[in-house]
Amino acid sequence: MKGTVNPFVSQFNRQSWVMPVSAMCLVLGFMISLAWVTQRTRTSRQHFLSPDQQIRVNEASVDIDAFQRLSGEVQKLQGDKTRMENALASQGGQSKVLNESLQEMKVFAGLTPVTGPGVVITLRDSQKGGSGMGGTIGIPSDAIIHDVDVLKVVNELIASGAEAVAVNNHRVAGNTSFRCVGTTILVNDVKIASPILIRAIGDPNTLLGAMNMPGGVLADIRQTDQSMVQIEALKTQELPEFVGNTSHKFARPPKDAK
Amino acid sequence: MILIPFVALLLGAFIALAIHLPAVPGVYGQYLAVACLAGFDTVCGGIRAGLEDKFRREVFITGFVSNVVIASFIAWFGEQIYINLFLAVALVLGARIFTNLSLIRRYGLTKFQDARDRRRLQVQAQTQAVASAQPEPNP
Repeated sequence: MKGTVNPFVSQFNRQSWVMPVSAMCLVLGFMISLAWVTQRTRTSRQHFLSPDQQIRVNEASVDIDAFQRLSGEVQKLQGDKTRMENALASQGGQSKVLNESLQEMKVFAGLTPVTGPGVVITLRDSQKGGSGMGGTIGIPSDAIIHDVDVLKVVNELIASGAEAVAVNNHRVAGNTSFRCVGTTILVNDVKIASPILIRAIGDPNTLLGAMNMPGGVLADIRQTDQSMVQIEALKTQELPEFVGNTSHKFARPPKDAK
Repeated sequence: MILIPFVALLLGAFIALAIHLPAVPGVYGQYLAVACLAGFDTVCGGIRAGLEDKFRREVFITGFVSNVVIASFIAWFGEQIYINLFLAVALVLGARIFTNLSLIRRYGLTKFQDARDRRRLQVQAQTQAVASAQPEPNP
């Protein structure tokens, strides 16, 4: 300030800066508090996302309670249906045969709970950290159970003679799908997470042998970490019925169907 | 003294929370966020100017308002022509906030070190004065 004169600085009018700055800080605090992104504002901004992003957000927030309520209702209605079918069948021999074949079909389609011997396979994410950078930063994708792993195991179980399969108590039926959404897996459009329990009914020895086959699906996972896979045979276990959507809009049996 | 702006900041936030305004909908939240950045930059600049003895109230207040309005306008304009101009605002204002804060820090540091050095020199001068006051031993 001695030699040169700054033209933007008043040489006469020195004012205290504290009070004006405080006043503007008040306004700033107000604004920041309004701009702060809370859970409420986040949802209000959701419709600014592009459609494919919105789908992802929606899938990540599946309403678990509503699902459990509805699946309970489906279970109850299916029980009612079976009781009514049985009542109908008790009226005559002809309808009894019809009902028997109907129950047979329901077992095949996975619409009734079933019990029997089998195996239970537990898949869990590896507890070992990544190998790089101190071990915790990079988690290799091999250390996580993916939808493909579940799909392969279920496929292998069915191929080796499993008569009924359930993943985390969601019965695998004809229209079951396995899909990855973010860090969770969807089975029948329901979110599940590690550890994943896959129960199968069938000959325990055959299933165990098929699963432990060298070069099989489980051997692949075990290569990353032995503790990711657990398999044991059970004398008896119960699998729930399929409680997903069974209605169909487009498929019709052809007229000349047998 | 230096704490008054921080108290005012918290007070403003508290008022906004207390009167339960409805959530800022959608994209206006983004404009408001950019405006907050501009306001923060202006406040930092004001503190810096105050420490440099250059502070003028009119410049500061008009600067605050115009920066907030211009930043929101640029964000809105970018939205209209499909360029994320609010990123440009965030970049520039972010850089300015860094500059201002570093100048404030250097000002404070220099003041602190000067005070320390002055004290040291004073103590030195005193001890020298005491030493020279004593009669020199004759050779």
